[in-house]
Amino acid sequence: MKPVIEVQNLSRWYGNVLGLSDVTLQIEPGITGLLGPNGAGKSTFLRLITGQIKPNIGSVWISGQKVRNNYTLFQDLGVCPEQDSFYDELSGWQFLTGLLRLYHLSKSEILAKASKALDIVELTPDKDRVIRSYSRGMRQRLKVAQAIAHEPEILILDEPLNGLDPLSRRKIIRLIKSYKEEGKTIVVSSHVLPEIEAMTKRIILIHQGKIFAQGDIHYIRDLIESHPHIISIKCSRPRELVSKFIQHDFILKVNFIPDDDSLLVETNNRDKFFGLLPSLFVENNIEVFEVTSPDDNLQAVFDYLIGQ
Amino acid sequence: MTQSNVGKLKHLWNSVWDVFYFFFPLVRRARKSKVFYFISFLPVILAGIFKFSQIFTGHPRFEGIYIFSNMIMGFYLQFLILILALFYGTSVCSEELEGKTLTYLTTRPVPKSAIILGKYAAYTTLIALMVVFGLVFAFLILNVDDLLNFSLYKILFRSMAVLVLGLICYTAFFTMIGTFLKRSIMFGLIFSFGWENVIQYFPGSTQRFAIAHYLKSLLPTTQASEGFAFLLFRLEPTPPTLAVLILFLITAVFLTLACVIFSWQEYILQD
Repeated sequence: MKPVIEVQNLSRWYGNVLGLSDVTLQIEPGITGLLGPNGAGKSTFLRLITGQIKPNIGSVWISGQKVRNNYTLFQDLGVCPEQDSFYDELSGWQFLTGLLRLYHLSKSEILAKASKALDIVELTPDKDRVIRSYSRGMRQRLKVAQAIAHEPEILILDEPLNGLDPLSRRKIIRLIKSYKEEGKTIVVSSHVLPEIEAMTKRIILIHQGKIFAQGDIHYIRDLIESHPHIISIKCSRPRELVSKFIQHDFILKVNFIPDDDSLLVETNNRDKFFGLLPSLFVENNIEVFEVTSPDDNLQAVFDYLIGQ
Repeated sequence: MTQSNVGKLKHLWNSVWDVFYFFFPLVRRARKSKVFYFISFLPVILAGIFKFSQIFTGHPRFEGIYIFSNMIMGFYLQFLILILALFYGTSVCSEELEGKTLTYLTTRPVPKSAIILGKYAAYTTLIALMVVFGLVFAFLILNVDDLLNFSLYKILFRSMAVLVLGLICYTAFFTMIGTFLKRSIMFGLIFSFGWENVIQYFPGSTQRFAIAHYLKSLLPTTQASEGFAFLLFRLEPTPPTLAVLILFLITAVFLTLACVIFSWQEYILQD
């Protein structure tokens, strides 16, 4: 398959700080996940391939064209930036139609595309509210809407699932997967392994500005498998939940955080653990408030992998 | 001009218009605009107070046009258009960086120069409207008892044109400054109330290094200006046609520089 995005010896540093070092890779149509802890260089990589910043060394091509100052490229490119920033005085509808206008579409096309994008991210009922009044999740969905509204062939999504509730997260994941079926090219970054895993098998591991590994997710999963994972659970009656955990040998350690009604569980088999968890909640009628996999989890995995 | 160049120019024009269309309503309802609506309405309030006091005392000390001319020299030319151009011109670029919204614009199929020119056009249109509305209302209130004197309207329209030209020129300068200076407001304040307010009074050709010199050269002269005559002290006016040409040339140069800098400068949005 012909690569859509090609980068050659890409390096970028900010003063004395290394942002990205000597990255050479090719990205083909489909979903490519960019995985790494915070500060690994994911956003630097995405800013470089969208021409937001200049590389100190190396070059970037999208569809065979250079990127920097090539505005025609953006006709077919949608970008969802990481920053949670908007023109807060505008409504969601004004924001979207205003940006769609920059594609030189007719008025009817702008209205149709804006309506469709808002429908997809389920913001239609709130489209006339000012963005300032939106929740974090709504703002995130609006960011995705502005990236997909003009129906681009290439999508660059920087942490698109940040701040979304589980339901919206699933919908956005489903949406991204549907673009893959249409033959589009999607690059999506995240610091949460299960998020990337839910979208694609093809991942790039990035750490300290370098491509640490790339390829099929199973390869990465095999590497990671033996490393313990920490999962934080906030629920009613945490002590009762712990009594159920200790019967399973894949649970290595449990820590209480009494002020917060939460637990930190360490497991060496993430899949078995997440398979067990819903049934424990249901059978014991435990109300669950939050299940998260802290970011330092991934950092620990990287540290572990580097040590291997 | 080749066909591809014509096509590029047409695309640039369409893009500028699209950016204008996006930003004009946005800046119209921005919080800072509400503050500046009030400031630009101050002359109307002052004109009202003056006219009321004149009605109550019964004997006018000054003619309305005298107050109006001094308002142009003292408030509009030396303060309002500078402040408006400074705050709106520098924000063309800097508000995108501070608000971290630049990515939304630079990832669209529009030339970067169109972003600068479109925003510049939107902001200049708004501040020109602010000035014109305030000016017309102040003029009508001050000259309410002499509204059929059509020679006064000549002064109004000429003053209005000079102030709008001033806004166009100063905003272009501050737009350029905002594309590469982080502390552009500080620099702008020093330029506006330091350089511009001092250089324009220098004798000889030195005063020609101030934009205010060309604006003052274009203002209508009335006997009423005597009250603020010190503001015209040693003015050695440039002929009107040349003054207008120079102001347009300054605008074109600064806008071109702003577009070039914005296209090549790298802006890093801090996380």
